[in-house]
Amino acid sequence: MRIDTFRGTVRVLALVLPMISPVASAQGQMRAASIASRAEAYGVSVSTPTVTQKSPYAVLPTGEAMATDQGQSIAVAGLVTAQDLFAIATGDADAIDGSNAVSTATLGVVNVLNGLITADGVVAVASSTIGANAVNSNTEGSSLANLVVGGVEVSDPAPNTRMNLPGVGYVVLNEVRSTGDGVTTSGVTVNMIHAVLQEPILGLLGQVIGYRTVGNIIVGSATSSVTR
Amino acid sequence: MVRVRSLALLATPIGVALVVWSCDPQRSAVAPTIGTPLAHFNVFECTPLKITGGGRIDYPPGTAAKNPPASHEYETFGAHVMSSGQMDANGTCLADKGSLEWVDHRDEWRINGSPLNLHSTAITFAEEATDTDCSDGAAHWGGTLRVQNTGEEAEFEVFDCDNGEPGVGHDGFAIRVPAIGYEVMCPDPDLPPAEPACTLTGGNRQFHPTHR
Repeated sequence: MRIDTFRGTVRVLALVLPMISPVASAQGQMRAASIASRAEAYGVSVSTPTVTQKSPYAVLPTGEAMATDQGQSIAVAGLVTAQDLFAIATGDADAIDGSNAVSTATLGVVNVLNGLITADGVVAVASSTIGANAVNSNTEGSSLANLVVGGVEVSDPAPNTRMNLPGVGYVVLNEVRSTGDGVTTSGVTVNMIHAVLQEPILGLLGQVIGYRTVGNIIVGSATSSVTR
Repeated sequence: MVRVRSLALLATPIGVALVVWSCDPQRSAVAPTIGTPLAHFNVFECTPLKITGGGRIDYPPGTAAKNPPASHEYETFGAHVMSSGQMDANGTCLADKGSLEWVDHRDEWRINGSPLNLHSTAITFAEEATDTDCSDGAAHWGGTLRVQNTGEEAEFEVFDCDNGEPGVGHDGFAIRVPAIGYEVMCPDPDLPPAEPACTLTGGNRQFHPTHR
């Protein structure tokens, strides 16, 4: 037997034998049940009573380290057009060294609602890490290029910037939602453009008494989360 | 019963010694060299390793600052590699598995109407770099990839650096694909974390030390 083969065999046995032990097996199952890494990214999502579409869409499969999807262009029912779409989801659930998850969604030229919202570059980045020395999630690296909303240029919008879209609803730019307790779990989602389509609710006399949401358009979304 | 216990007491240290010996790094690893020597990433060990994550780099210049979004001067990627520290007969430190997805959004790298998109087809080597400034660990790894825009196959190498948390402003990544004259590398010794790795402006790299 070659020395390398023998070394390899010993290493495999060192890995396998502890798993056979009932105690180690139980501990392993408890760890596997708690640690997790989740990453998800997509270019465009449209949800209306007549259209439901999400593309390109990458979701990190359990036990895998990466998923990708892409599209050269997309056009959704006159609601969104976009070019150069890429979605990448990466991550790793590691009970000893800690877990991480990173997802990115990138798009080139984007046109939402027939020119009501335009941009010529969208980047959504979500990153989560949990380990012995650090627990954090952030959306650093996310950006919008040459964004115009209703004819108004919007430069580098702050997280959760809301703008009304008269007759349509409103849009949330750089929408950030954090999840987790910051100790055993941490996660974040960023939607770079989130248009909420609304229609008025009319009272008995025909007056507007409120609005109801009838659809959502999201452009450039990245989600990451980790659990130990 | 006593005999069984004595046997166990005798076998335990032998087993531990065997495992330690089997995991001892093979320091004489020689990875395929497709580029020129670099100031960092020169000293390698063929040892079990794992590094995961992805993110964004704004190259050029590859510093921790983002370029203006309208410039489209940025790259996004996902990458991971795992090695059990085995060498082949040629002294190449073999990778067990891994993958790379890379997108360069610069206008000058649009090919056939799309941003340059590199997709690994095989990860063939991975070695730990021990002479870097990367506090949590570093790796030099690579293999072959397909240029999605053209279908062309080419060899590549990456320089991968975990320099603490958060990844933005600390970690680094660099790639070279000589056959197509493409590289995103930052050979500036003053640039954190370690040349030729360019500093991440988004995302994170995570080195897993106890994998070795």
